[in-house]
Amino acid sequence: MTLFQARSTLAVSADSRRPNANDPIVAPEQTISTMTAKICAPPLQERWPLWWKLSLGAALFLVLILVISIGWLFYAGIGIWGIDWPVVWGFAIINYVWWIAIASGGTFISALFYLAEVEWRNALNRLAETITIFAAACAAIYPVLHLGRPWLFYWLFPYPNVMTLWPQFRSPLLWDFVAILTYVVSSILFWYFGLVPDLATMRDKAVAPHKRRFYGVLALGFRGSESAWRYYHVGYGLLAALMAPLVISVHSIVGLDFAGAATLGWHSTLFPPFFVFGALLSGFAAVMLLAVPARRLLGLEDFITGRHFDILGKLLLTSSLCVGYAYLMEAFTNFYGPDAAEKRLFANKITGELSPIYWATILFNVLTPQLMWLRRVRLNEIFVVLISIAVIVGMWCERYVIVVMSLRRTHLPSAWGGYTPTIWDWLTLFGAVGLFIAGLLIAIRLLPAISMFEMREVILRNARRDR
Amino acid sequence: MSSVNAQWRSLEELMQDPDFVSRVEQEFPMLGAALSAPRDRRQALTLMAASLALAGAGLSGCDGAPEGHLIPAVRMPSGVVPGMPDYYSSAHVEGGYAAGTVVKHFMGRPIKVEGNPFHPASLGATSPIAQAELLDFYDPRRAWGMTQANLPRSRSALEQALGEQRDKLAATGGAGFVILTGASTSPTLAAQFDALRKSYPQIRWLHWEAVGRENAEKGVALAYGGRFELKPLLQDADVILAIDSDLLSAAPGHLRLAREFAARRNPTRAKMNRLYAIEATPSLTGAVADERFIAGPRETRRILLALAAALLGGAPVEGPPWLDRIVSDLRANRGRAFIHLGPDHAPQAHALVLAMNEALGGRQAVYTLLDAVTHASSDDSLSLASLVTDMRAGQVSSLLIIDSNPVYAAPGALNFAEALGRVEFSLCLSATPNETTAAALWAAPMIHPWEGWSDARAFDGTASVMQPQALPLYQGVEPYHVLGLLLRPDPPPALDLVRQTWNDRLGGAVGDAWIDALAQGVIPNSASPVSNRPLRDDAARAALPEPSSAATILLFRPDPYLLDGRYADNPWLQELPRPLSKISWGNPLLISPRRARELSLANGDVVRITLDGAHVTTPIVITPGQSDDCVVALLGFGRRHAGPVGRNIGVDFFELMGRSCAAPDIQKTGATEELAGTQHHAAMFDESGVYARSGALSQFLADPGFVRRSDEPQPSFYEWKPEGPAAWGMSIDLNACIGCGACVVACQAENNIPVVGKAEVLREREMYWLRIDRYYDGPPESPKVNFQPVLCMHCEEAPCEPVCPVGATMHDAEGLNVMVYNRCIGTRFCSNNCPYKVRRFNYFDFAGEERRAIESRNPEVTVRARGVMEKCTFCLQRIAAARIVADRDGETASAVVTACEAACPTQAFTFGDLAAKGSEVAARRAGPLSYALLADQNTKPRVTYEAHIFNVDKPEETQK
Repeated sequence: MTLFQARSTLAVSADSRRPNANDPIVAPEQTISTMTAKICAPPLQERWPLWWKLSLGAALFLVLILVISIGWLFYAGIGIWGIDWPVVWGFAIINYVWWIAIASGGTFISALFYLAEVEWRNALNRLAETITIFAAACAAIYPVLHLGRPWLFYWLFPYPNVMTLWPQFRSPLLWDFVAILTYVVSSILFWYFGLVPDLATMRDKAVAPHKRRFYGVLALGFRGSESAWRYYHVGYGLLAALMAPLVISVHSIVGLDFAGAATLGWHSTLFPPFFVFGALLSGFAAVMLLAVPARRLLGLEDFITGRHFDILGKLLLTSSLCVGYAYLMEAFTNFYGPDAAEKRLFANKITGELSPIYWATILFNVLTPQLMWLRRVRLNEIFVVLISIAVIVGMWCERYVIVVMSLRRTHLPSAWGGYTPTIWDWLTLFGAVGLFIAGLLIAIRLLPAISMFEMREVILRNARRDR
Repeated sequence: MSSVNAQWRSLEELMQDPDFVSRVEQEFPMLGAALSAPRDRRQALTLMAASLALAGAGLSGCDGAPEGHLIPAVRMPSGVVPGMPDYYSSAHVEGGYAAGTVVKHFMGRPIKVEGNPFHPASLGATSPIAQAELLDFYDPRRAWGMTQANLPRSRSALEQALGEQRDKLAATGGAGFVILTGASTSPTLAAQFDALRKSYPQIRWLHWEAVGRENAEKGVALAYGGRFELKPLLQDADVILAIDSDLLSAAPGHLRLAREFAARRNPTRAKMNRLYAIEATPSLTGAVADERFIAGPRETRRILLALAAALLGGAPVEGPPWLDRIVSDLRANRGRAFIHLGPDHAPQAHALVLAMNEALGGRQAVYTLLDAVTHASSDDSLSLASLVTDMRAGQVSSLLIIDSNPVYAAPGALNFAEALGRVEFSLCLSATPNETTAAALWAAPMIHPWEGWSDARAFDGTASVMQPQALPLYQGVEPYHVLGLLLRPDPPPALDLVRQTWNDRLGGAVGDAWIDALAQGVIPNSASPVSNRPLRDDAARAALPEPSSAATILLFRPDPYLLDGRYADNPWLQELPRPLSKISWGNPLLISPRRARELSLANGDVVRITLDGAHVTTPIVITPGQSDDCVVALLGFGRRHAGPVGRNIGVDFFELMGRSCAAPDIQKTGATEELAGTQHHAAMFDESGVYARSGALSQFLADPGFVRRSDEPQPSFYEWKPEGPAAWGMSIDLNACIGCGACVVACQAENNIPVVGKAEVLREREMYWLRIDRYYDGPPESPKVNFQPVLCMHCEEAPCEPVCPVGATMHDAEGLNVMVYNRCIGTRFCSNNCPYKVRRFNYFDFAGEERRAIESRNPEVTVRARGVMEKCTFCLQRIAAARIVADRDGETASAVVTACEAACPTQAFTFGDLAAKGSEVAARRAGPLSYALLADQNTKPRVTYEAHIFNVDKPEETQK
């Protein structure tokens, strides 16, 4: 099948599938039935190509590393990490913020653009939401691992207990716990709810009895009746309306985890919007990064077209400018404000021994995305991949700057310290990347990669318009 | 029979098994060493028989315990209330001199050392070493058996060998028999030596300290023609000149001297004295001096000559330009001026300084001369060098080494170990196995001072009887018993000897006086009488020896906490950051900033230092304020035969000692070693004045509140009002703090704070609740030093509290910021939010991994688990104890003394109830010098500081 011909390189030369600015949202030759057939085919396929098996194997190896790292962490204690005094927060918090930000793109594209009735989102929302739930899952691991006594994490719940103890409602960490929990649960619900009609399609398309049973159970008896669709649209709309503010709130609250503290370098009202900007930037970058291989490897060139790259590129550029603004304002408030210690810390960030990390942040998050001004770059898959990777690395560096570099230089010079991550820090980071990739690979193996029922609406609408 | 054979064989095999040997070694070090040594079958059988005998002895009870005391109590002894502490007086002896202590017991177990307020050398304070004695007492390494040629022997075998020595002594009259021990002030030991001399006229003994004060003693002898003790009276000294001095850190009576000095340091409470320091390498005395001048050994000689010329008359010698100012200040304060010279200077220099002091007219006012306190060696000509010569020449047939470690600590040039091999009979008594026990023919475990009766005298001669604090934990031998065995086969117990010493002097009602003396820890009126011996005329004409002309001179100084290495096995002292370098677990070579630049060395660079063919490799640390003419080696590290704590930590510089005065050759090796420092910021910091505030006396006189003019009261959304009956608070006087570290160890002992070890210190995870920050101010070549103890500030608006998601840190009604360990889940947000960074986190099970007897911990303080945050509690357990007493008596708890406050020699800490009328802490807090650390954070800390005032006219003058 042509669908599964692995393309060893993302060849740019003489490739008819290259993104083009004039591409329509869906290739005109696609009809509802060809589209459905094409999207349904991969999950129903018995044998999957080598690239999938190899990548899944590699990803599962990383998952194994994650499991070992976590096991050793629980056994030996969080002293196996590089955190120390005064840098008591390290990779766990950096990774947490990084992942939760990556997760934002899906919700934003899926929910906000749904409410805005934007057509192009329909080709990307499944992919984006899948990114969201696995990134959010990766993010959700870290706050628990981060604890000195992780087995007591449930003390954050306001549950009734014999000692009538409540959690401390003033703590940003409690808000964070609630926000993350809400976000993860809602994201999964939203993703699953959006899958139901497609699962019903899969049920109907599947031939093998076990597959029919599998998709049948997951489809929850959705039969596509008029009333079911009516309720479905209302429900989906409500969920979307819930998710859109949630994505803002969760990142604002992650920002408050820092801004709510009196710590140097964190104590800033800029942080909540700054974190939302940062989240959007990494979210768009993640969707863009994964759209390229998804499109090529799953043969979705007809559905994820040049238009999508054009739009995503512009979104990435916009959020990068917002982030750039936040960086500028951070510098300005430090300069304009009265706090000598803040000034000293900022000077250390931009000129100290770890300043390359700060400048890498600026380079990757603000300067590199400026290439997206050029349409040629937005439509060039290689550039898109490189810029997206740069942004994702840059966002990780940004969190390193915020967490580690701030804690290294606190108010009292006598309490200044250093921070050196250990092998376990790195393994826990890469292990989670494996978990994320494994999740995505399994998801595309089992589920349609594009929302078929929403795609049908687009194709129908296009057909009507053409007539 | 075959089964028996098989069994023997298997046991033999077992003993060759490295695993087994290493396990045994952990438990019984000497046995392990013996087991791993190659041997034939016959020896193996002997060995096993011996170990079986030892095991039997172990089962049947403590070998060395007094009889009749081992019956467990059916009813509690009267006076012991379960759960309540008991206190017994003792003394900590250092260099022979005693400083009184009080040992706190819980149910018979010593858990904490406090100072003895009745003792003149303590006045209630303790040194870090005295505090850390607790761990030495419980050290499991003390459980080693007697050995002959490193093979286990029984106690009776040793007694038999000593009996043979007794016969030999009787035959030879003591010729060839030498006793080597440390400096001693014990009258009982002196009496025993005298008895030995009476029986065996030719017996000799040597009081030898690796880091001793013999230069000062000889200087006194030169100046006054006899053995005397110089006792400074610093409370009346208006001007003090300290030259390479250890007046506040190690001199006899230093705790008292520091108290007297500090009592005159806060201009709000007393007329300030003025301290000038001239030194080659920074010391605690120099760090707190009003003006500190740097002079290498050659320049110091010139300064001494110039001073002598100015004060004693004679041809003027040109000194440095600033010396005139000092001289005129000394002259202007005739009768109230005192010059102190450090123990590293030659006896002639000491004689000269004594003459200058006489000329300044301060005798009886700022110092007195007392009859000698220390016991003299058997003859003046005997020194370690002459002893080694005698040993080499075969003139020493028997050597008895008591509580001394010459194989490690003798100057390397002497090669004591080789000389020891030529001695026919040698016995080393030592609490734990060390280099000398390994090299001596016989070695025996000595009791810890807390396990037996003894006595010792303070720097002013005041005597203390040291009573046992516990029955011997291990089978130690008493030194008195060994010496007694040389006299007769059944020597009297130590108690009888000590009582015999004091029976005569305590006068009539011996029983009561004895009990009082034990209870108070001092024998009343036992101080040495003041001597009126006049200065010898030629003291003023003492000729100073010419110092080395080498460009760089290698100076040796004792490590402030390990001294000559005897405390190398003590984890508290190993980990305690050195006051100025803030380095623990190591002794890098101290080198001046300019010399380091010349050699292009950075902190931690390893150099190879060669002197007369001997060489050592050592990392270096750049030491601001050190003379360019010298590099300084700290002694006491690099022990090869110590326990797991001290073995091979740091570098043994004794190896280079006693060599020529040529310039050492210092070569960069290219390697680097990480230094386990606890303060990581770059040494220089311009804005340190914001934190540890200081100023000149003239500034204070012009505007008493000048230190806090910049702190504007800030508005707050939340006004928390203390509810409590009490409002606990603390004031720390930076004028008094000399950075000695006593408070840090006291806090560690009181609050069960674990030692984390070098690897974890390198990863910045030390656990101190109380740390002493050291700030440098001014140029690196000669900065001013500011010490600042930092502990939990117990902020009224504590930033740590609102951020904890589970409410594990809260405020109590009396203003204490309390930490609920059980509730802590370890988010560590509180630490992020603490501007003072006083919170410490248990990254591992530090307390569980500590090699420390559980019995030595304070039962009133929770031992923290892994994954839990901890911090200073203001000694909540002490507050709670005071509350119980107050509740019982229907009063408000007020008299609470925290552990740091109790230990501090200079009374820098004042703790108490801010709400109580007339409380000292409230008065200090209201004083003009009082300020809050990081006041701009608006945390309203309950701990405030009194700014450091230097007795100088203009601020820039301090920046010499």
